[in-house]
Amino acid sequence: MSVVDNQAEANQSEAISAGDGPTMPRTQRSNPLRDPGDRRLPRVPEPCALVVFGVTGDLSRKKLLPAIYDLANRGLLPADFALLGFARRDWGDGDFESLARKAAKEHARTGWDEEVWERLSGNIKFVAGSFDDDMAFDQLASTLEELRASHGIKGNAAFYLSIPPTMFPVVLKQMERTRMADNSTAGGWRRVVVEKPFGHDLPSAKALNTLVDDVFTADDVFRIDHYLGKETVQNLMALRFANQLFEPVWNANYVDSVQITMAEDVGIAGRAGFYDATGAARDVLQNHLLQLLALTAMEEPVEFTADAIRTEKLKVLRAITLPADLSAYAVRGQYEQGWLAGERVRGYRAEEGVPADSKTESYAAVRLGIDTRRWAGVPFYVRTGKRLPRRVTEIAVLFKKAPHLPFSHTDTEELGHNQLVIRVQPDEGVTLKFGSKVPGSMMEVRDVSMDFLYGEAFTEASPEAYERLILDVMLGDATLFPRNEEVEASWRVIDPLEAFWQEQEPEPYRAGEWGPKGSDNMLARDGRSWRRP
Amino acid sequence: MTTLWDTTGTAVVQALAAERRSGGAVTSGLALTLVVVLEEKDTADVEAAVVTASAKHPMRVIMVLRHNIDAPVPRLDAEVSIGGRLGPGEAVVLRMFGRLALHAESVTLPLLAPDAPVVAWWYSETPKTIAYDPLGVFADRRITNVIRDSDPAASLQLRATDFAPGDTDLTWTVITPWRAALASAFDTASSPASSVIVYGNPVDPSAQLLAGWLSSRLGIYVPVERAEGRYISSVAVSFQDGHSVQMSNEGYKLVMRRPGQMDTIAPFPHRSTGSLLAEELRRLDADEPYGEALGAVSGQRDLNSRGSVRKHIWHDPAMADQER
Repeated sequence: MSVVDNQAEANQSEAISAGDGPTMPRTQRSNPLRDPGDRRLPRVPEPCALVVFGVTGDLSRKKLLPAIYDLANRGLLPADFALLGFARRDWGDGDFESLARKAAKEHARTGWDEEVWERLSGNIKFVAGSFDDDMAFDQLASTLEELRASHGIKGNAAFYLSIPPTMFPVVLKQMERTRMADNSTAGGWRRVVVEKPFGHDLPSAKALNTLVDDVFTADDVFRIDHYLGKETVQNLMALRFANQLFEPVWNANYVDSVQITMAEDVGIAGRAGFYDATGAARDVLQNHLLQLLALTAMEEPVEFTADAIRTEKLKVLRAITLPADLSAYAVRGQYEQGWLAGERVRGYRAEEGVPADSKTESYAAVRLGIDTRRWAGVPFYVRTGKRLPRRVTEIAVLFKKAPHLPFSHTDTEELGHNQLVIRVQPDEGVTLKFGSKVPGSMMEVRDVSMDFLYGEAFTEASPEAYERLILDVMLGDATLFPRNEEVEASWRVIDPLEAFWQEQEPEPYRAGEWGPKGSDNMLARDGRSWRRP
Repeated sequence: MTTLWDTTGTAVVQALAAERRSGGAVTSGLALTLVVVLEEKDTADVEAAVVTASAKHPMRVIMVLRHNIDAPVPRLDAEVSIGGRLGPGEAVVLRMFGRLALHAESVTLPLLAPDAPVVAWWYSETPKTIAYDPLGVFADRRITNVIRDSDPAASLQLRATDFAPGDTDLTWTVITPWRAALASAFDTASSPASSVIVYGNPVDPSAQLLAGWLSSRLGIYVPVERAEGRYISSVAVSFQDGHSVQMSNEGYKLVMRRPGQMDTIAPFPHRSTGSLLAEELRRLDADEPYGEALGAVSGQRDLNSRGSVRKHIWHDPAMADQER
């Protein structure tokens, strides 16, 4: 179990003993059976309902419904729980139940247990209707009221908006009208879960934030960035702040540069409409990569709580600077046809649904700086792309070379930068790369890797990010969720980039290679090169 | 896999190193060493448990089987395997004959993974006093299993007398799902409990520990009342504001009944010894709630404030037999 878990658990019990913690507004008297020293008991949320809008969508079927089943199977759902689906289908509870069952069975991480599903399926309800239909929302509200009595959910509900952001205003207005979003009317907590994209630039993000924060209170809004639910990302904080070894060298005195990579081997399969309007920078850089950067670069939070961590992340995001010469240090690319993993794949412009003259980038790389005492002068190279040779996400901290080497030049020819690599996916783990003597009569130093693999030290399969995040929403633990200011600060970084790129043709690269030449040149200009992940 | 007949501890250490080298991918991230003390008849059960647990925790398993102590010539047989029949980790099976069995630590000490915590597990027949067994003295965590003794309730009392922080018993691990269910029932309670009764077998150590835990946490006397079933069949809780909850185990399902509300049913699967062991190995520090529960069962106070280090007491079964 990670530090995050234990800590969050401790926070939760603090919130309970404090009576009215900010994240748990309506906690009862403290539970005598819960003891922070008792690490065996799992965190189980209060009785509640999970309402999913757009429940027939792709995300819901592949991630959400399986995650709910996995939670049930691990015994982490409260005894009083209801799942309420809302979509425009002429369906009864039974039709929805069979869709959910199929989805869960196909994509669940844990083994299939018919009994667990049967127990869960008794708590699954469906309300049909379109988002502008007042009747449907009235019915949704009344169904929630009924569930309070029949399923003992006590007015607690989380609303998961698995719908395009253009639909948000309508749905949120409806919730406001029916007063479903109101904590005091409900007599319990009401929370909303929003998926990315959080807008497409700063003004739109602000408008969206205002809208959501108005209907719900800002504390009750949970923005899902599923990367933050990953075990290694949480481990980054344990690695940095629980150890003495790394923090002293975690600054510009010792760090040469930082490379953050998120590569995908897939194309844009089925998402052409969305992707072509968005591009790699808005789709990935703005949220995942900047969040990873913030966690890598932030100062130590004063305590391990959602508020304290957000404060530190926000400081870093606001200190990010773009290079003065964007033409040299901001590269975007678009894949052309090529061979990937032994198969021929088409170019971006030939993908179904993409216009033949599309200027949307499928690759983005940029050199960022962080204007703080700790990081001044250290370049943060971030890159993301589709149709790259393999799927990998990692944070590599490259240390400076030793100021003086007592060995002869030829002895250390093969010695590179010392590196600390945090592998986010796949093969979650940490690698430390350093020089070591090659056995033999000659003095020869070569790079070796010391590897910590999650699969090896804790083989207990780490839960899917969605499982963890949905559980956190129900528990009211906002530690792993970016808040509105962070989203806005990230757009402040991206907007000038997008403006610069607006009229440019993206640089082509062949599918199956590590991005366009310009991206390699960008590092070569600084006398560096990309690490091959 | 390497099998060594009539061998020495040094040869076993070398065989393990050789297996590690030739295995290619060296299992570097060992989290702990598990020393299992067992008898030949339990081998199959223990192996199954070790395979399950080592899939969850990367560990070196040392299985110690002691055979006829009165054999005239001491002898050691060993089996070393990595990533084989005994799960993905490293495993060493040691069979000790004759007087060597009384000095098992001389073989196991050099085999412990460097600077990793040591967990000792007696599959059955825990020594009356753990300090008699040198394998229990250098272990940081000790796991016993009183349910396999001839009189489990008496053994549990003995465990309290002999307790040191870091000890746990698998009859405690078994009740984690009960405790989790009860804790979540209390999450929504709005007033303190006025009475709690555990129904089941009054001499079952798990039922006793559950009652002990409840009374240590709630500060009220919690009895175990006889009901059908060999272990725990149900728990009834009444709250001061008149609410009540009844939870019962009905064929691997936990049914929760509350007057005026729908019954809820949660899965309550049977857990194998392996998954119990895996739960134990999750935490390698002292389990204080266990100490409190055991204290409440035995009437012995402040178990958790005892020293956690034991000193070996020389105990020769042959001598003990003569004295008798």
